[in-house]
Amino acid sequence: MMNTSRREQFLDLMDKSGWDVLLLYGHSWRKDFFRSLVNFNFFGPHAAAVLSRSGELSILVSHPWDQDVLARSVNARVQCAPEFESGLRGVVSEFKNAKIAIAGMEFMEARFVDSQAVSATGAIEALRRIKTVEEIEILRQAALLADIGYQHFIDTIQVGMAEFELVAEVEGFLKERGAEDNFMLIGSGGTEVFGMRPPTERRFQIGDNVTTELSPQVNGYYAQICRTLVLGEPNENQSKSFSIFREAQQAAEDFLKPGVNIRDVARVQNDVFRREGYGEFTGSKYTRVRGHNLGLYPDENPWVLEDVDCVVGEGMVLIAHPNTYLPLSGYMVFGDTLVVTDKGCVRLGQTEKKLFSKEA
Amino acid sequence: MKRGLITWDKSEIPAEVFEQRIAGIRRIMAEKNIPAVVVYSELWRSNPARYFSNFMPYFNRALLIIPADRPVTLLCGLSPRVYGWIRSVTTIEDVRPAGNFAKPLLDMAAEAGWNSIGIVDCPQFPFDLNRAIQVGNLEIINLSAVGLCDDTELAMRRKGIAMAREFLDAELNAGVGQTDYKFVGRLERRFRTAGAEDLITLVTNGNGVPAPASGVRLEAHYSVSLALEYRGHWVRVTRPHDYACTPDWLVRDDTAAVVENLGGSYPYECVSRSSLRSGAIFAVHVSRPVGAKQIFYGDTCWYGGAGPQLL
Repeated sequence: MMNTSRREQFLDLMDKSGWDVLLLYGHSWRKDFFRSLVNFNFFGPHAAAVLSRSGELSILVSHPWDQDVLARSVNARVQCAPEFESGLRGVVSEFKNAKIAIAGMEFMEARFVDSQAVSATGAIEALRRIKTVEEIEILRQAALLADIGYQHFIDTIQVGMAEFELVAEVEGFLKERGAEDNFMLIGSGGTEVFGMRPPTERRFQIGDNVTTELSPQVNGYYAQICRTLVLGEPNENQSKSFSIFREAQQAAEDFLKPGVNIRDVARVQNDVFRREGYGEFTGSKYTRVRGHNLGLYPDENPWVLEDVDCVVGEGMVLIAHPNTYLPLSGYMVFGDTLVVTDKGCVRLGQTEKKLFSKEA
Repeated sequence: MKRGLITWDKSEIPAEVFEQRIAGIRRIMAEKNIPAVVVYSELWRSNPARYFSNFMPYFNRALLIIPADRPVTLLCGLSPRVYGWIRSVTTIEDVRPAGNFAKPLLDMAAEAGWNSIGIVDCPQFPFDLNRAIQVGNLEIINLSAVGLCDDTELAMRRKGIAMAREFLDAELNAGVGQTDYKFVGRLERRFRTAGAEDLITLVTNGNGVPAPASGVRLEAHYSVSLALEYRGHWVRVTRPHDYACTPDWLVRDDTAAVVENLGGSYPYECVSRSSLRSGAIFAVHVSRPVGAKQIFYGDTCWYGGAGPQLL
């Protein structure tokens, strides 16, 4: 449960930064900073890991069941404070005149934040960006789960089924196989579809583009797969559209290696669309990002965008997905989880890189 | 996470209910001379905004702005490409993109001539937003989310808890001998097919408290604890397999009981029983020894006129 490699990194950072206390905060949406040190899926809504410069760890949670499990599992003082504000104050007050740094400070409730504290969010994010060997192995398992999850998606979908019924089935499938959680969006239809969102009551029809991103979480870590499936035989526009997405994603995969800048990982994808005359559709009106980092949060920084400055390092795990709208066939998605190696990158999943179709 | 059906069933919640809720807060605004109220919403803290507009974000965050004299506005971190979907499942027409929420809010206030704004649970606002909004020249008036409850809210919670009780009671026997993962998957299918947006499942064989599934095989008298979100309304239920329990346990003064407020910003938050007030929607979970192990039992309750009762 304790990420000992990270613990050493955090202590080293504290020493270099002059921080006496590092507080890693989590709430039920953003558990990732807490879990980067104490990998426990707390019930919540709050949890804080408080690491002192001497290496002592205190944990504060807000639900007694979380306290019970943690107290049996980690070598740390574990306290429960349903009144989390006063509990946090109590823990912090033990460190007199201490320089306190908080990871996750920005999304903490304002009343929790000590006025003298500094933000450690960016620095901790930067460390977390490079995954340990153990973390990469967990992400590999999550990517393989995404593969079989998507196969189940294909096996299950049929004309007349409602989007939410398909998602319910995929969710059950992934949870049966040990997924803690799954960030999943879906879209279905034709050129009237501009993006994905949670499932609706819409029923699948022949000819639909069905887009999805599956992001199963295994032991805290999210991998992701993005695929498009056509119900029936893809028409010429759908095939042409997908070929652009395929080439754009491959361009990112061929380009990605240590030392390149993430903005260029976005650029090489967008250049494919520009070359085909669809440069307009690489902007924020039609697409959010061209990919993002993966880890304890499904949408980690850096985002893959042409205005993001971040040098890629070995051990980063990210997805390059040129998901966007094209007037040819509507919204399409395509992407795989990639780990950056010393010389390039390797795909962690094994799902075929194609436009899927299913006889309707 | 919310991956179930986010929808607005007008037979369950007619538009008039939201209109009455907005009218209600506008009466309070008029009494306190507040020109606009701001409600924070994110994936995990969506109760208040959902109460006023049926808005439940599946990701990112948003601010629901309720002016005294003009339509409601949603400042939304989600992409404009999903605003059509937002309009289709909420009462909101005016949806605006906002990466930096403070600036459009302060611009709106300046354009409307507001000198003050009410913020629901201001001290609980995320630190970055709280700080950015305070930079403006607006007087900030804190308003509490306590008391956001009417007959429709209770009816929807009743619907959710009825579903939770019915499905769990029907599935408990099937859990014995299965791995907890398999059982959780079974529940996910059942609840999400029935329209649940979110489901959190904790299990135990009785050697400890309910906790996330970990691959163990469920034994007789295992216990399962659910947090279920149905149409944005959260309920809690905890049941042991094959062990007779009585709701009376939940309303007794048991100092070891876990009591959760379900009516605040969060889906559930541990509180002391003594802090519950009339109108509160809450959950109570107790444990009982069975040999060397424990079983767990809990349910969603309501503090009605006759005192605490099962919802």
